Amino acid sequence: MAVLDRIRHEVERNALRARNGIKLATGTDRPGVGRTPKDVVWRSGRCELWHYRTDRATVSPPLLIVFSLISRSYILDLTPGNSFVERLVDAGFDVYLLDWGVPDERDAENRLEDYVDGYLPGAINRVRELTGADQVNLLGYCFGGILTLLHAAHHPDSPLRSLTVMATPVDFRHMGPLGKVFALGGLEVDAVVDSDGNVPPQVILQGFRSLTPTAEVTRYVNLWDKLWSDDYVAAYQAMTGWSTDHIPFPGAAARETVDMLLRQNGLVEDRLTIGGDRVHLADVRVPFLTVLAERDHIVPEPATAPLIDLVGSEDKHELRLAAGHIGLVVGRTAAKTTVPTIIDFLLSRSEVTT
Amino acid sequence: MPGNNGAEPPALWRQAFDAAEKYVAPRLESVVRTDQFAQATALGLKAQAALSNSANAVAAKLWHLVNLPAGTDVLRLRAQVGALDREVRRLTLALEQQQHAKADERIDDATADESGGGARSHPPRGRTQRPEST
Repeated sequence: MAVLDRIRHEVERNALRARNGIKLATGTDRPGVGRTPKDVVWRSGRCELWHYRTDRATVSPPLLIVFSLISRSYILDLTPGNSFVERLVDAGFDVYLLDWGVPDERDAENRLEDYVDGYLPGAINRVRELTGADQVNLLGYCFGGILTLLHAAHHPDSPLRSLTVMATPVDFRHMGPLGKVFALGGLEVDAVVDSDGNVPPQVILQGFRSLTPTAEVTRYVNLWDKLWSDDYVAAYQAMTGWSTDHIPFPGAAARETVDMLLRQNGLVEDRLTIGGDRVHLADVRVPFLTVLAERDHIVPEPATAPLIDLVGSEDKHELRLAAGHIGLVVGRTAAKTTVPTIIDFLLSRSEVTT
Repeated sequence: MPGNNGAEPPALWRQAFDAAEKYVAPRLESVVRTDQFAQATALGLKAQAALSNSANAVAAKLWHLVNLPAGTDVLRLRAQVGALDREVRRLTLALEQQQHAKADERIDDATADESGGGARSHPPRGRTQRPEST
């Protein structure tokens, strides 16, 4: 009887595997990502400022999220019910997101100053213009965290109520094999740029894949093992779709990142120059929260841990979570710990109206 | 067998894979984190770039012999157009920032005249771009 049960169980699962396998292979059942309703409220080049629609914004000032330069921002709004942005909107925040779009040859000469001194102030001004608020709460994710830090340091008079950064590397000596290839191997960015003058997404993807060489095989094995589960397949499609969906890194910004942030370790060694000006993280004086993931293999904990001591804010806090890079914004850790802590931090530094 | 305390033991093939993965993964990860691996990867990528540049140079010479533009000439032109596009964007952003600074000054002056105190917020100003639904 037990053997019969087992056979029936396996047959059922293999039938489900076949069905889900066909769906995956044909791409007929892709999960909808980035579904929270939004409007484009400002645009400059490929960059867009999104406003998430809400009729229950009770928190002021508004929250501006700045995303990384090398990946797609929909990870912050992955799927309904598993969306960082959705949670913030539900908590009463008026949420804006600065999305960099997909850089092309027109962006190859974009330097870090273009983002720090140009797009970011432009987006902040636009948010203030739309809401009537004098200040904004700023939140940077991954490389977006670096951009927000540089902005706050270069513009101490910027109208920021607070600054939150998540999974933001500062000590680039700990950035793993990807960093070593440039720092120790002496590879120049020009050797990997494409005909557009940008670092192509394939190079970025290979760089991340080299961090966990067996992960690709394990991913397929896990998929086969759980292919019968609709929930697993939906989550797999959303997550794998995002993790392999990088965007080009503008060439000039990549050169600056390698020279200033990686080789000179500029954020830790206080050797930062933006638009010809010396910039010091100690000049960041606004209320500050850094969120780091202890199991992050992309931005390892030692790469982001020194940040709390580098900023000059008196009101500064660090949140360490037993999560991975993506686990900060997606899944159970995000829902149970990251988002509530960020919400508490922001609420205590904002005004709430009923 | 399913239903054993709610937890299903992994299949034999899965147990074998996990054991192999547990053995191989840390070793491979330590290899890719060595200085030698970084240097070898960098060397490979440099060699690839050098080969590609040499091939492009030869192709460019051939096209130039017959007075035609080469792919590298087109790339240079695209880079120049891109740089020009960037300058226009920077100027536009600088202009927008100046307009905002002036508007802020006007609002601050008006508020100071009315109340004699620093304002924390002001009504939304006119929109310069229309929101678009996505």
